[in-house]
Amino acid sequence: MLSVLAKLLKALNSDASPSQISLAVSLALIIALTPFFSWHNAIVLLIALVVRVNLSAFLLALAGWSVLAWFVDPFSINVGTKLLTAPGLQETWVAMYQIDFLRITKFNHTLVLGGLVVSLIAFIPVFLLSRFLVVQYRAKVLAWVERLWIAKFLKGSKFYRLYQSIAG
Amino acid sequence: MFSWIRWWGLIVFVVIFGGGTAFFMLAAGPLAKLSIEKIGTMVNGALVEVDSAAVTFNPLGLKVTGLQVADEAQPMRNVLEFKQAVAELELAPLLIGKGIIRELSIDGMEFDTPRKTSGAVEKPKDEAKPKEPSAIESALADVELPSAKEILANESLTTDDAGVAFKESYASNKAIIDEKLDAVPDESALKAYEDEIKAITSANINSVEDFRRSKAQLDKVKERFKQDQAAITEARAAVKQGKEEISTALKELKDAPGKDLARIRNKYQLNADGASNLTATLFGSEAGDTAAKALYWYEKIKPYLSSSDDEESAETKKEMKPLRAAGSYIHFPTDNPWPTALLRHSYVTASVPAGTIGIEAKDITHQPKVLGRPAVVNVESTALENIEDLKANLVFDHTKSPGNDSLKLKITNWQPDDFKLGMGDIKLTSAKVQIKADANVSRGNLVAKGDADFGQAGFVGGGKTFVAKELGLALANIKEFNIHAEAKGKVAKPRVSISSDLDSQLSKAFNQRLKAKQDELEQQLKQELNAKLENALGEHAGILEELNNVEGGLDAKLNKLKDLASSEVDDFKEQQKQEAKEKVEEEKDELRSKAKDKFKKLF
Repeated sequence: MLSVLAKLLKALNSDASPSQISLAVSLALIIALTPFFSWHNAIVLLIALVVRVNLSAFLLALAGWSVLAWFVDPFSINVGTKLLTAPGLQETWVAMYQIDFLRITKFNHTLVLGGLVVSLIAFIPVFLLSRFLVVQYRAKVLAWVERLWIAKFLKGSKFYRLYQSIAG
Repeated sequence: MFSWIRWWGLIVFVVIFGGGTAFFMLAAGPLAKLSIEKIGTMVNGALVEVDSAAVTFNPLGLKVTGLQVADEAQPMRNVLEFKQAVAELELAPLLIGKGIIRELSIDGMEFDTPRKTSGAVEKPKDEAKPKEPSAIESALADVELPSAKEILANESLTTDDAGVAFKESYASNKAIIDEKLDAVPDESALKAYEDEIKAITSANINSVEDFRRSKAQLDKVKERFKQDQAAITEARAAVKQGKEEISTALKELKDAPGKDLARIRNKYQLNADGASNLTATLFGSEAGDTAAKALYWYEKIKPYLSSSDDEESAETKKEMKPLRAAGSYIHFPTDNPWPTALLRHSYVTASVPAGTIGIEAKDITHQPKVLGRPAVVNVESTALENIEDLKANLVFDHTKSPGNDSLKLKITNWQPDDFKLGMGDIKLTSAKVQIKADANVSRGNLVAKGDADFGQAGFVGGGKTFVAKELGLALANIKEFNIHAEAKGKVAKPRVSISSDLDSQLSKAFNQRLKAKQDELEQQLKQELNAKLENALGEHAGILEELNNVEGGLDAKLNKLKDLASSEVDDFKEQQKQEAKEKVEEEKDELRSKAKDKFKKLF
């Protein structure tokens, strides 16, 4: 855990672009807000592994978003239920339901559909917001943090030595 | 652009999914084996064992070999076993965790086979309760006939009491009569009286003096008569009273056996009421066992017929609510629904002791509402040794609430072989039976009815008990009968009724047998009671005749004394007139005779 945290801090403070970190956070949101064992999550995971997003940020964000999911899931289920039972969409759903490939996506599951819709809608705002926060952090907070006694204390700790060794 | 691609990430992805798939392929077999054994044993209540289970790739599926399902009731036997089962799985549903078996084929399926080791599993022990006799058995127990000696030994008999009363009456009256008879003059005394009176009355009275003397002698004798007359009168009265009392006691004694017999007959009511539902006794046990087995397995599989259509499931779901909301599937109309688990089709040929049967199962799932079709099981056979044609159709329809499970059964020309009936060692050795049955279960309530027509029936055997023995004899004459059975109420405890024209036939035959037996018993009772009567009467059976003779003798004596007492000494003048008159008549006769002789001479 310390290692992951150290890597994250390294990523946050390294040359990794704010977009790579923000994309990892946004991708983690999709996995966190939908049931883990869903085929779309395999695609999200593939993207996270193949595209150079920051994996430490991805894993940490996944943990963070998963906690948030406990509170968001009821809302997601509600969204999914409303969509799946919306009279105007019935023909679409029925047509999709006849195709085995689509059915294995579990689109007819309220949490899968609701969570996916909520996370996709939130994807761009989360990406932009997290990118903004990373930039702001590097510009303003980092220098101020380094001046704090706690930062000085941490720099003398074992964790910091670990961080230093990873950061090279 | 390529600076954004991380190629080793692709390798990691392939490794993750490849590893996962490989693990599934390798672990699926052992996991399936473990699951079948653990869950099967839990559901069955006795060991379920599998030799091996493995994933097959062409076609994709699961192969299970050497499955044995132990019988909970008989752990050294298997309810069923098969050599090999191959389940063809559909890939697409499997990718989202749904086990849909397109076709299940089973080889070497057998029912009721022996095991090498016990299939029992440890369970909390229930206290063994002694088996209580059924109501019918209790009722029939009352039909048992005790012997005549047993009945008489246990009964307070009027015959015994009347015998004692008769003996006492006889003894007391005999003492009184004997005492009175001692005072009665005997025949020699009466003869002496007669001679004496004759001597007095036949003496010649020549003078008034003679007359007076004879009369005085006669009066003296008459005076002695009075005492004897009084003694005879008293003895006569004693005899009369004794005769009346003894007669009454004797009548009561003679009537007593009849009264005893009537009372015993009433008390030991011998009728066939207890045998009014003999069919239930004879066939109920076997039918009950079969029905109990069927209901046992129904109760076992019932929870898996539908996982979501009853209140209990809803309650359970409420209690098992996960911490994180889980969501649910919304199913849309389709020709190819995917429940979580489904057996689309299976046709199995199974061996049973009487031959082979074919079992076809369609659409077996615990989510019938998702599938939208009821589960169907068809059993048929035309190759059984003792059944010409067997058809059973089970439909578990839980596509709507409430669910409805139904059974239709038709058996043509079943020829039972040594079918053991529920009493003694009576067996149905031959018959041709046609069976039709329907059963429905909805909301836990069972409504079932069945008819069995028996023809060319042949029974053998009887039993040690009276009922079984007599029943065996009664059944021997019955060739045709039918049985109608109904069951209603909760599945776990239905009210079962069995009726049959066999009851009326048996009741009639049984009543005849009972009547004959009753007559035999009554005859024995009569003999026993008459023996008691004879014993009570002893040598005094002719007492009344004896007393009548005594009374007759006393009457004769009394009459004789009266006659003697009425004898009188003729009056002297009257005697003279009588003598003169007799003399004139003699002279007239003499003259008439002379005159006749003269007239004869003239002609």
